[in-house]
Amino acid sequence: MNLAGLCAAYRTISQFHENHRLIAWLSAQPWVVWLTPERRKSVLFYGAIIAGAVGVFSRNAKWRDYRALAPWLDHGLAFLLLLGLLYTLYLAAARFKQLPASVRRRPLICFHFLFWLLLALLWFFRERSGFALTVLSTIALSFPYLIWRAGYMLLSGQRGKALTSRFRDHLFYIWPIWDGTNTPPGKGHDYLSRVIAQTPESYARAILGGFKLLLLVALWKVVLELLAALVYGDPKSSFSALFHGYTLGLPRLRQILSAHSVTPLAHAWLSLYLELIWETLALAAKGHVWVGVIRLFGFNIFRNTYKPLLAQTIVEFWNRYYYYFKELMMECFFLPTYARWFRNSPRARVVAAVFAAAFAGNMYYHLLQHKEPLVSAEWNRLWSLLGARLIYCGLLAGGIAISMLRQQRQRNRAQVVPAGPIHRFRRIAGVWTFFAVINFWNVIGHLTIAERARLFFSLFGL
Amino acid sequence: MTDRERHRLELMEFLRTIQRPDYPLTAINEESGLVESGLIDSLALLEIVTYLEQTYRVDFNERGIDPEDLRSVNSILELIARASVS
Repeated sequence: MNLAGLCAAYRTISQFHENHRLIAWLSAQPWVVWLTPERRKSVLFYGAIIAGAVGVFSRNAKWRDYRALAPWLDHGLAFLLLLGLLYTLYLAAARFKQLPASVRRRPLICFHFLFWLLLALLWFFRERSGFALTVLSTIALSFPYLIWRAGYMLLSGQRGKALTSRFRDHLFYIWPIWDGTNTPPGKGHDYLSRVIAQTPESYARAILGGFKLLLLVALWKVVLELLAALVYGDPKSSFSALFHGYTLGLPRLRQILSAHSVTPLAHAWLSLYLELIWETLALAAKGHVWVGVIRLFGFNIFRNTYKPLLAQTIVEFWNRYYYYFKELMMECFFLPTYARWFRNSPRARVVAAVFAAAFAGNMYYHLLQHKEPLVSAEWNRLWSLLGARLIYCGLLAGGIAISMLRQQRQRNRAQVVPAGPIHRFRRIAGVWTFFAVINFWNVIGHLTIAERARLFFSLFGL
Repeated sequence: MTDRERHRLELMEFLRTIQRPDYPLTAINEESGLVESGLIDSLALLEIVTYLEQTYRVDFNERGIDPEDLRSVNSILELIARASVS
């Protein structure tokens, strides 16, 4: 077989999810025909209630704590109150026009204000204990997981699209059964209802697309295990024994950021680039699980990570690296800022919107992610977790803003000359370097910001 | 020529100025997602917002930006029609 034949064979195998005969065979299967959109949504709805209950119970206490009655009562009541709260929010979205004008204009801000009110209440009474405070704490701890998803529901209400929807159309993505991240993959009702497969044929396509992603997960996991064994010498890797302990023995970035010993400059730079590759593969593997499972239920949603390491601009990398986080930041921070501020100054408008999303929104999202120290008002712990991230988000926002403005300028030029392979390679290398370097401020380590800054400048020989 | 037809021609003319150079505008139909089909990148959506504000006085400050409204030629035309009525 010649090279062209091999390429064709590779394409046939790798694109099996678009094979017409396979799609036709799968769409004729009785279970595919039986699982209509409505039935699939029912499975997701009841699954979400069960998973939501398990989530509230298992996230807030160890199972052995349930030998006593009190945790059952606390978390049982918290579960019912959360369900009631979500139903109330659904009613607010469905009857959005009946809400007060101030809420209609800024529904997300009002919703988040409610959460901060709850936190303030808990901080005020933190010296006290009791049944009511335990229940409120459980609700506050569950909120960061629900707040962005319920936010999509309110946005749907604001856009007039939740009017004819039912509670069950929303609950399965607000209390999803497929992931544990605060970012909602698949966004909300508006997007999901547009991409749901309506026919057995389109459902078969979605299943095959999901199955392909789950196969990719297995592949990326193998690559990660290989990296762990060969590059980092991780004894837990499944391949450690296979290579008889042979390893480059490079440190992970978090080890560099937690140790006070000096790492050779070449090792430090290698670690920076390898960390970027590691994190991209790990995120792709995780995201493919979420998206793969959603596709198995017939929602033809975008991938969460799509070849970011081939991106030629910073903004393209940001778009492809963690798509649903980027979308969340776009809808909640970027677009509202773009719509309201600096409307007479195109450049200031873009810069303000980028900083609102990549800096302010990004910081705020991660502040909510550290829910335990937030609910218990441990300010020093929060600062140690998030201090360095301020610099990361600032650099990220600056990089994206410059990249966007450059792209805009290039587009306005009369003729764009396509880049050659060397030029493309240099662009990709530039994007890798930017994200590898700023990631230095993203990884959590034990060093203080001053120590981290000294280490950072030492990378450049300063 | 109806208003919608005139708006469509103006919009297509504008899309030609922001589309990716290697992509034929004729390859998409009015329902195709502009970003999903590869005609424009997501950044170009912002230019569509500015175009709609300047050409049709669409007030995004008042109504907010719904990415779904900017998804396809049809959805943009519907947005223009709604904005003209209000």
